[in-house]
Amino acid sequence: MEFPDLDELQWLEVNQQEEEEEYSVELEVEEDKFEIEDDHYESEEAPPSPHRHSQSRTQIPSYDKKRPRSPLDTDYDECVRVRVRTEIETPDVSIQLEKHDNAIYLSRFASEIDGDCVPITAPSGSGERVYAKLDRHTFSVSDDIVVKNSNMSATSSGLISESVCVLLQNAEQDALLKALQSSSEVQDTLPPESSVMTEELWVNKYAPRSFTELLSDEQTNREVLSWLKQWDAAVFGNGIRNTEDEVLSALRRHSSLPLHQKHSSASFPGKSRGPKYPGKYTVTSSNFEHENNRPKVVDNVQNTRQNSSRTPDQKVVNGNDGDDGAVGVDDGVVVQVLLLCGPPGLGKTTLAHVAAKHCGYHVVEINASDDRSSATIEAKILDAVQMNSVMAHSKPKCLVIDEIDGALGDGKGAVEVILKMVAAEKKSYDGNEASIKEGRYETKSLNRGRKVVSLSRPVALSSQVIGRKDMTRSIFDVWKEVFQKRKPKQSRECNINSRKSYDANEFLYSLVSYRSDNELIFDGIHENFLQLRYHDPMLQKTVHCLDTLGVSDLLHQYVLRSHNMSLSVYYPSLTITIHQLLARVETPSIEWPKSFQRYRSLLMEKLERLRSWQSKIAPCISRHLSVNSFVEDTISPLLHILSPADVRPVAVQLLSDKEKTDLAQLIGIMVLYSLTYKNTKSDSSANKSVHDGLLDAVSFSMDPPISGFVNFKGYKPGHYELASAVKQLLTYEVEKHKIVQESIAKSMHSTDSSKLDNNAARDGENGRPKSSKMHEALCDYSHEGITMNKSQKDFCKPIIHRSTSPLGFGGSAADVKKLKFPGDVKKPSFGSFNFFDRFKKISHKNCHNVDSLEERLANAERDGRHLLFKYNEGFTNAVKRPMRIREFL
Amino acid sequence: MLWVDKYRPKNLDKVLIHEQTAQNLKKLVTEQDCPHLLFYGPPGSGKKTLIMALLREMFGPSAEKVRVENKGWKVDAGTRTIEIELTTLSSTHHVELNPSDAGFQDRYIVQEIIKEMARNRPIDTKGKRGFKVLVLNEVDKLSKEAQHSLRRTMEKYSSSCRLILCCNSSSKVTEAVRSRCLNVRINAPKNEEIVKVLEFIGKKESLELPPGFAARVAAKSNRSLRRAILLFEACRVQQYPFTNSQVIPPMDWEEYVSEIASDIMKEQSPKSLFQVRGKFYELLVNCIPPEIILKRLLSELLKKLDAELKHEVCHWAAYYEHRMRLGQKAIFHLEVLRLSFVTARFAFLAFFSSYDCPKLNQFHDTSVCSQVYEHLQGFPYCNFWLKLELVFSVYWAPLWKKAIELVCFQMQQPATAEVFRHCSLCFRPFRG
Repeated sequence: MEFPDLDELQWLEVNQQEEEEEYSVELEVEEDKFEIEDDHYESEEAPPSPHRHSQSRTQIPSYDKKRPRSPLDTDYDECVRVRVRTEIETPDVSIQLEKHDNAIYLSRFASEIDGDCVPITAPSGSGERVYAKLDRHTFSVSDDIVVKNSNMSATSSGLISESVCVLLQNAEQDALLKALQSSSEVQDTLPPESSVMTEELWVNKYAPRSFTELLSDEQTNREVLSWLKQWDAAVFGNGIRNTEDEVLSALRRHSSLPLHQKHSSASFPGKSRGPKYPGKYTVTSSNFEHENNRPKVVDNVQNTRQNSSRTPDQKVVNGNDGDDGAVGVDDGVVVQVLLLCGPPGLGKTTLAHVAAKHCGYHVVEINASDDRSSATIEAKILDAVQMNSVMAHSKPKCLVIDEIDGALGDGKGAVEVILKMVAAEKKSYDGNEASIKEGRYETKSLNRGRKVVSLSRPVALSSQVIGRKDMTRSIFDVWKEVFQKRKPKQSRECNINSRKSYDANEFLYSLVSYRSDNELIFDGIHENFLQLRYHDPMLQKTVHCLDTLGVSDLLHQYVLRSHNMSLSVYYPSLTITIHQLLARVETPSIEWPKSFQRYRSLLMEKLERLRSWQSKIAPCISRHLSVNSFVEDTISPLLHILSPADVRPVAVQLLSDKEKTDLAQLIGIMVLYSLTYKNTKSDSSANKSVHDGLLDAVSFSMDPPISGFVNFKGYKPGHYELASAVKQLLTYEVEKHKIVQESIAKSMHSTDSSKLDNNAARDGENGRPKSSKMHEALCDYSHEGITMNKSQKDFCKPIIHRSTSPLGFGGSAADVKKLKFPGDVKKPSFGSFNFFDRFKKISHKNCHNVDSLEERLANAERDGRHLLFKYNEGFTNAVKRPMRIREFL
Repeated sequence: MLWVDKYRPKNLDKVLIHEQTAQNLKKLVTEQDCPHLLFYGPPGSGKKTLIMALLREMFGPSAEKVRVENKGWKVDAGTRTIEIELTTLSSTHHVELNPSDAGFQDRYIVQEIIKEMARNRPIDTKGKRGFKVLVLNEVDKLSKEAQHSLRRTMEKYSSSCRLILCCNSSSKVTEAVRSRCLNVRINAPKNEEIVKVLEFIGKKESLELPPGFAARVAAKSNRSLRRAILLFEACRVQQYPFTNSQVIPPMDWEEYVSEIASDIMKEQSPKSLFQVRGKFYELLVNCIPPEIILKRLLSELLKKLDAELKHEVCHWAAYYEHRMRLGQKAIFHLEVLRLSFVTARFAFLAFFSSYDCPKLNQFHDTSVCSQVYEHLQGFPYCNFWLKLELVFSVYWAPLWKKAIELVCFQMQQPATAEVFRHCSLCFRPFRG
């Protein structure tokens, strides 16, 4: 036999561990464990299988390598247990040993050893690695073991029919023997805890491996166990002997009283049938643990042998909090799901595993914390359930769903899936269908290990409530709970009252912690608490309350920012603080908190408005106009500048030079900042001045409405409100200015538009008084245009330059003129003289130009030009007939 | 054009304030060794102006031809793509943007978009490889993550790209970013400097400035040049031949805050608190940042407060401003400040009076009682009820009815049954 390859060595190690475990249990004289072991052997078939054989054979090397180093050992059987570690911890001994024998058994170098060797690493301190020689000449030991095993299996092969007492005696004797032997060798034998496997965490290393090792609350353990036991009939078949009812009742006796009642009265109607199999054993409470295991194990074995097609599953849901148990009564016997809950570290998972193993189930664990979506969980559960048909060894399965609360976190989908499946299973059962999977789901509930056992399991089992998280309490109830004091009963004494308030706090705590919309809760408190009538002469309570709200805000922000959701457990305590401060007996009137939302949406709206406005302004200005600086510094003076007090609502001609300059400047600013006034139907008469000449209810407001930024409620902005007529005038001017600007920009792509515009405006101001000159210029221009039409290609920029300014002026002057007549919007924009002049010329030209091509060119030319004309129907004192603008050109 | 924009210095030679800084910047440009720059300083001090002038210095007049682009970006963020819309101002040589506009997604802007921009290297007309300038505004509003991702970009693409950061407070820019930049502090201009600028503008506009008028505007301007010029122009528009008695238009929101402050001083009760809350909302809705409201409110309150209380109130203001920045709902913190101010007063008063208490304990003595009242005189902004409350909350009085009469008498208010009822309601806990 050779052991050179790694696989085998590893396997060896594992085996060794197994052996250790078993023996360590034996050393502790655990009777029930021992019997399980017996069973184990038994189930592995009575004659030593090849597998078993090889296992025992492979153990040999591990014995061997120690043998030469422990010369004092006499009993091979027990020296098997001697740890490698003892040697390594005393390297000098081993070195001595090396010197003793000529052959090298233990060395720092593998090469020094001839033959096979095993590496051993010192667990403590140095971490030195040595190599031990493998000796293959000691089959006797293994034979011993094999013999022993075969003996055991021989005796136990008839175990089912044999009385338990005999087996028990055997076991006791063996155990006693072992105990004696081990006690005689305490010196060389280190306890199995200090094993070679130091890589293993202590948490795992010292995890309980059998039911009796469980440190968690005894009663809970028993409850879980008894629940599992109730499945025996269904799982292992009715024909096979069930767990004795005595055992069950004994179990139950140790469970809590209410549970017992519950079971017998409500949940388990089947129990009223009475015991099917009268008990053989008188079970006492002290050793019931032991008695309890026996029949169970037997059943298990029988079942696996006889009925491999029936492979029911059980489900254990394991969670940290929440006591939702999905309940279903199956076959009138048992609930399908058991929920174990409690704070972390109490051993819920361990209990589930140990108990399931103990009862002979194959544990299938689903770790729900990995993938939490309902789909994956469903798939996993189905996998686990249906795997039976494929798997060869078919112990019944117990499905342990770990960390179900983790699954709960994501929208409770997982729990719903489980519930659905439970329901589905039940249905298929009722219909007596021959479904392959007769899966049953179970949930365990382990409540707060130490504290109370009896309390919530009955509740969880009997009611259909799926967790209080689903509690549909309206948020108004929460606010009410915060603001309203429970009415204390008058008959109660003082201390009871105090307890009552404690309870109220608890209630509030749970109420708030089950809600997820903490922000809304605090918003509601913030909105409403000032309306309450609480006694607070110094406003200290109010300050405290607001302070607490501030803390909640900080907390909320921090949680959001750091995604540290676990901190949100502190929300409820904040509400309790507020409750203590403010709660009164009378019913509060609570309103839905709106103002914060309204504030937010309004703010967004205004910001959006500002942004869109900014995007309209030329970038060279808007780049300096951030929102902050605008609101902080710019807006008020800007409004002042935009509404000069001394603009008279009269025609431009009547203004003095200075006033005209001012007006031009104002218009320039408005254009540059893309501001204008807009006609709005005025519903509120606030904007309407008394002296405006408008008869219809039309008022002008700033567009975009930047003046809204200083219109605080109950505050009158300091700037002067312009008269409507002035606004109208400004609107018109700005509109015109814009058109001029656009046309200029169209014709002159290269020049800076704003500068030119300014020039044009200034030219306009200068030229305005000399209106006659303007007319001449216009005439000139039209002549020019015609000449240009004739010499099409000669249209060049300088000419446009020249014509731009009079035109810009002309337009503005005419428009201003139009406003001379109060209340009149529609005016002829050009002098009639000019108008007709041009009309004639155009018609003349049209007569001349018969060539269509030429005309098209002329059209193109005209479109490129920037002549402005606005024709308003009904405002001529001469001919009245509809015409097209084209005809004027 | 507004004077603010009209007289904005276009190049580094023409600046009127921060001349030294401008000269230094110019040297940097001429030496062709321009590092990353971080401009910081209070609003209205001329950071942006300097940056623009600097850009012009670097690239010539073509840097002034800017266009606005509103572009949507798609950023791959692990499993999903995020769409971000970003407005940029760009010329051929530089891009100006405000990454903090994206809110909590600013990280992606910095990581993806800015990197992308920095990576692309422009080619000069002369075939020389030029470099590009990215102007990032409001860097202090960037989240920590964004700033951290910025620093790698700054190092990696420094050969082809220069960053100019602009912010109000350098303390909110991480040390790492600051250390990679040349920090340029732009002070708020001194009042004299503002006066100088205003006089310059007055000369250009050929206005007659009465002596001291510019100084008055400057004093009103809160050391912000922008505000000063705007105010100046507003004055000019409102009333031209300047007179020394001319009203300089106030900032509307500041007026509103001072209204709030006087409201606070007037009455202290949950109801008034509720009204004030409405006003706070009104301010906040109009985009006025809560920090500024708080600051302004504090200065308004300090004007009206007794000297002993100022310290306390400042303390609380600082405390709640801190919390406000940590938190999200500014209104909570604003209110609590407004209230803590009240409690500070109460606390102070309690302390003050407990100090004198042994003397004042015999309440039957009317002279002592009037002494109490004199203390109350120190708080001119208390209303009648408040004073009553103060008296009785501080001085435990077996003879409280007599005291009420006394106070009523001294306040020249009738000692009606209502007064007594109110007092007995309010002070039940104090009467043992």
